[in-house]
Amino acid sequence: MTTPPEHSANPHTEELTARISWIIRLRWVAAAGVGATAWLAPRVWGIDLPAVPLYLVTSGLAVYNAVLWSIKRWLPAVTRGLGLTLFANLQISIDLLFLTALLHLSGGVENPFVCYYVFHVVIASILLSRRATYLQVGLALALFCGSAVAEFSGLLPHYHVTGYLGHELYRNPLYVTGAAVTVGTVLFFTAFMATSITARLREREAEILGLSSSLEERASELQQALDGLQRLEREKSEYMQHAAHNLRSPMAAVELSLAVVAEGRAGEISDKGSTMLQRARVRIGEVLNLASDLVALSRAREAALAVDSESVDLAHIVRNSEAEFRQSAEAASITFVTRCSATPVEVLGDPGALTELLRNLVSNALKYTPTGGEVRIELEEGEDGVVISVADTGIGIEAEEIDRIFEEFYRAKSARESGKEGTGLGLSIVKAIAESHGGTVSVDSEPGRGTTFRVSLPTARSAVISQART
Amino acid sequence: MTSLAKPKILVVEDDADTVEALRALFEHEGYEVLAASDATSAFELNQTEKPDLIVLDIMMPSGTEGFHFVWRLRREGDEACRDVPIIVVSAIHETFPLKLYPDESDPVYAPNEYLPVQAFLDKPAEPSQLLDEVRRLLKPGGAAAVD
Repeated sequence: MTTPPEHSANPHTEELTARISWIIRLRWVAAAGVGATAWLAPRVWGIDLPAVPLYLVTSGLAVYNAVLWSIKRWLPAVTRGLGLTLFANLQISIDLLFLTALLHLSGGVENPFVCYYVFHVVIASILLSRRATYLQVGLALALFCGSAVAEFSGLLPHYHVTGYLGHELYRNPLYVTGAAVTVGTVLFFTAFMATSITARLREREAEILGLSSSLEERASELQQALDGLQRLEREKSEYMQHAAHNLRSPMAAVELSLAVVAEGRAGEISDKGSTMLQRARVRIGEVLNLASDLVALSRAREAALAVDSESVDLAHIVRNSEAEFRQSAEAASITFVTRCSATPVEVLGDPGALTELLRNLVSNALKYTPTGGEVRIELEEGEDGVVISVADTGIGIEAEEIDRIFEEFYRAKSARESGKEGTGLGLSIVKAIAESHGGTVSVDSEPGRGTTFRVSLPTARSAVISQART
Repeated sequence: MTSLAKPKILVVEDDADTVEALRALFEHEGYEVLAASDATSAFELNQTEKPDLIVLDIMMPSGTEGFHFVWRLRREGDEACRDVPIIVVSAIHETFPLKLYPDESDPVYAPNEYLPVQAFLDKPAEPSQLLDEVRRLLKPGGAAAVD
């Protein structure tokens, strides 16, 4: 006998084992049904059946099923040695024999229960290969026709079932032929439909198995690519920090030397010389700021790769930085307002980075707000997160530039024209820090009226929930 | 011994130009300046010269030697010179995210986790700010030395 196509040994074996258990359970029901019918028929419906042979066959069926159950339960090695497919094939063939014997004892070809052959064919289609199913159909038909012909020709005795079936139908050649053709076509057609459906299901199953394994493959490829990119990003970041630091060291030495000389601390110096040296210091200061911002930016990006999260109280950060901001605001005659809750407002993150974020936004606001203006920090905690907003009444940003201001080194036209120094990295740092904390930055601005930056961060609680989801 | 009246400052710094700038700055203010370019010679110099103040860099040729120097000095230095005030002038915060100097409003770090130094200035230091710190730290000791 051929084995059904095996896509993957294990799932199929498992399925076959489960199905065999299922047939054994069905067989108990069948044996009980036949036994009950044989007992009830003469007593309740007044049908005359050959009681002793029927009970014998039914007992045979029960014993046979008990043997199968024991083999399956206690001697799985036997079924494995036999091969599960052969085990299933044998069972169906023996079941067909029992059905034929039972039918023979209860009217043979006259008994409408001949349609029960269909059940066996459906079970075979589910369990066996297409070819094995058709062989079982052939066996069923041969048994049916064989017993009909044997009874017709008198080779086997006919058990007439009085009080139930018509007279002498088994001797009517037209009826016997008709019954054989009906049973034959029903069986073959059933086998055809059931095996087709089973085959299609098996194909789908194989496709899904193949798809899921290729998906797993793709996922692991993508993961590898992602790991590679992250490693590259880390290397880039280390390189940038190293370069910036190496740039800073000599610049710091130059700055100090210029400062000492410019301030006349290394001896008398002309006013003109002092002015020039002071201007040189300002330019060196630009380079130093650029190096600092590059380090801050790459550190913020690195944080996105490995966030060492701790619970951080943003209200504390705002209050802590307030004095420093207020001093700068007063120096520039700008009104400085903070509105922030007295109770902790907690997010998960890096306190240093979040302080850096706030400092960048506020120093930007102070830088681009003219004398007499106002800078306002607000910290609000909502249902789904925390919003820090920094609003100013400064020079504002043109609408078409809004999308570009977070780009590295980009400075808005109004900022460039203001004559204030800037590296163009401050907002990139803000954005990188916000994103590394699972947040976003938005901006509203009107040229000449002012700008409001809003940083939304998930609260410590919601961040834990979203991490648990991923 | 003309320098007896002058407070002595030991500059521990591997960058020669920075040393020269600091020397010019401090000498102009009337201090005597000693210099060491690594932690080992700085430790020796502190033992023999007993400066009144140390201005210390952290990042030196073989890494964060400045840290090592501070702890060694505080633990192994002679009693007469181990408590010398130290001002750290370093760009360490550029590469190192931890704060190394006391900030009482910061609840994250406990005081004994800080470096046992008296002041910490980020590089490049403003000369006037550095001199303010020097004057502040030399006040009690410096007055005694001049006496």
